[in-house]
Amino acid sequence: MAILEVKNLTHTYSENSAFINDAVSDVSFTVEKGEIIGIIGHTGSGKSTLVQHLNGLLKPTVGTVLFEDTDIWEKPKEIRKIRSKVGLVFQYPEYQLFEETVFKDICFGPKNMGLSGDELKERVLEICKIVGVREEYFQKSPFDLSGGEKRRVAIAGVMAMRPEVIVFDEPTAGLDPSGRENVMQIIKDYREATGATVIIISHSMEDMASLVDKILVMNKGRLYMFDTVENVFSKKEELESIGLNVPIVTRVFLELKRKGIDIDTNVFTVQRAIEVLNSLKEGNGNA
Amino acid sequence: MNNLIEIKNVTYEYTEEDSVYAAVKDLSLDIEKGSFTVILGHNGSGKSTLAKLINGLNKPTFGDVIVDGINTKDEETELTVKRKVGMVFQNPDNQLIASVVEEDVAFGPENLGLEPQEIRLRVDEALKAVDMYEFRKSTPHRLSGGQKQRIAIAGIIAMEPECLVLDEPTAMLDPKGRAEIINTLLKLNREKGITVVLITHYMEEAEKADRVVVMNDGVIIDDGVPKEIFKNVEKLKAVGLDVPQTTELLYELHKNGFNINTNVISIEEAADEIISALHLEEH
Repeated sequence: MAILEVKNLTHTYSENSAFINDAVSDVSFTVEKGEIIGIIGHTGSGKSTLVQHLNGLLKPTVGTVLFEDTDIWEKPKEIRKIRSKVGLVFQYPEYQLFEETVFKDICFGPKNMGLSGDELKERVLEICKIVGVREEYFQKSPFDLSGGEKRRVAIAGVMAMRPEVIVFDEPTAGLDPSGRENVMQIIKDYREATGATVIIISHSMEDMASLVDKILVMNKGRLYMFDTVENVFSKKEELESIGLNVPIVTRVFLELKRKGIDIDTNVFTVQRAIEVLNSLKEGNGNA
Repeated sequence: MNNLIEIKNVTYEYTEEDSVYAAVKDLSLDIEKGSFTVILGHNGSGKSTLAKLINGLNKPTFGDVIVDGINTKDEETELTVKRKVGMVFQNPDNQLIASVVEEDVAFGPENLGLEPQEIRLRVDEALKAVDMYEFRKSTPHRLSGGQKQRIAIAGIIAMEPECLVLDEPTAMLDPKGRAEIINTLLKLNREKGITVVLITHYMEEAEKADRVVVMNDGVIIDDGVPKEIFKNVEKLKAVGLDVPQTTELLYELHKNGFNINTNVISIEEAADEIISALHLEEH
């Protein structure tokens, strides 16, 4: 079942000025319920502009966004309702923390949705468990936390609204390797616990390969590809021509192929690489 | 050996209300003139504090930082140190100020009070050095992230520093932008002899460095050539870091019983190791 449908979406910034500029032009795609979709594209390709339409932060200049078959702009006065159904975690979301305590900050979203009392508390506790925000942190000021911890609290604030679709705009930017791994794990855990649909923008081809079902590729404001991980990452030259690449492990396999080794190059994760090489080793009889 | 930077038993303390926190603890490090050093460490390990100590933005609480013979604590020579050590930060948008690329690059040299012809010369040369000369009349905000960051680097180069210190310059860039920055830095280092100190969270960017310094909780825990550093997969993971995916692949193969050399970073070498470990036939 389609949960989100984007039809012929165009977004023009500064429409009535000399600097007219289509940030997104004529993009159409459908997201099925429960899918994990990755969005990749060069800086300035329109990724962030595109996702800000999914929860009604931006209004299409042309085209429509359907959530469960209904145009989200059907009743413009009620556009805020979509924000609890489609949660958006911005780039560097920790810059938006503002409450006195971690607990209050995470409560902010669900409280705005009308939750209160035990229901609110339960909801927040549940999310804190998934995200790994421990109770001793609840009464701390969010500004006293480390960078990685702040990011987790900010993500928890969006997750606490328990959106059916959750969109992350470069959730691991600026984090160190363990911070990146931690955020990726949180996304997986949330997905597992709630079955939510996940859309994630990233510049890390390696993260994409290990997490998503399908990849949407943006180039200069247009949708360039929307296909399975395998079909997207098997097109190295095309990706390179638009400023992207394939995972490093895939490049190793392409290099093996180039050197004349007869090998499957549809390998996008280290785990898969080990499997392929293990079976090759056994096949060669030199185990 | 000719050291451009000497960090001698430096401690740097931040004071917050009534508590004191040491971000860098009794750290000593010499950086050779003309070298390319990568500094790795998790968020909060003291890398950025160290970077600011090198160009005098931070003054040591204890110990000394000597840049080309000048102590950064000496107030009279403070500007000289800042000219010798140029800093580049994470977000290119915060570093560009003018509406035309060449004006932006000219901003630094203009502030040095140079003659107009000299400024022209330096701006052109700096833009050529980062391969952005053809964009000299463009508007910075119309450029890609990698291009903007190269303009920011050109603005620093135009002041003719001895050393470039870059604090996660690729964190906000796409894969092409990241590659552009690394290639630019290698070129500046190899062709112009500029000393480079690169702080990054992307392990593969350390591949071509002369040296990798690993920081954890304000101290240096490892220091050596990239291949030696990335051999210690478990040690790096224990301090919140990682290894390039090539090294990880070979390390995992080794764990899976492959008789394979894990001391490898480049894609080509990784492929060669796999071929020899599996006794594969090249056709």
